Amino acid sequence: MNRRLKLILSAAIAVAATTAGAGASYAMLQGDAAAALRSGGQAGEQADGYLGVVGSGSADVRSQVDAVNIKRRAYYTDLAAKRGAKIEEVAATTACELFRTKVAPGQYYRLPDGVWRQRDSAPIPLPGYCG
Amino acid sequence: MRAAILTRLRPGATQGAMRWSRLLLAAPVLLGSAGCVQVAAPDKPIEINLNINIRQEVVVRLQQDVKELIDKNPGVF
Repeated sequence: MNRRLKLILSAAIAVAATTAGAGASYAMLQGDAAAALRSGGQAGEQADGYLGVVGSGSADVRSQVDAVNIKRRAYYTDLAAKRGAKIEEVAATTACELFRTKVAPGQYYRLPDGVWRQRDSAPIPLPGYCG
Repeated sequence: MRAAILTRLRPGATQGAMRWSRLLLAAPVLLGSAGCVQVAAPDKPIEINLNINIRQEVVVRLQQDVKELIDKNPGVF
């Protein structure tokens, strides 16, 4: 597929998705659902290794967050079994890494104190166990 | 069937039998709704337990695997 065709195709998909009011589903098809939810501010990263809905959230957002978390849980379970660790340990370690690398300034995160905060230009103050 | 038998026995019984059969028809519906589990939306938000109980050495041990996990699954992380 040449570059031009790709461009036209992606533009067409984008237009279709937007007109259908399904920008987020489009993001899901593109395989960056978690990033889209974070950058949209509807969801944030939690210290337990799962995405959380910021505020009440629409039914659509909640179902997308659930879908991502179900997949995360499966990956955590798999890795935990491989390494002889607890699922929660794998999940918490992942959260440390996501706080470090995936939560951009302006996006939301939630430390073990349970409070949603918006990241500023400084890195997220990581919990002590993150190392 | 029952209505027909009753009618043959006593012509005036048709109405009563009809009512009886209607009740019989309604019974499963009534039973069905009685057995239905009522699910009410909770009025309080579900609290998430963010108390993480983990030692730093475990984090260090898992870190490399976790980094790979994140990199390989961009849609999920």
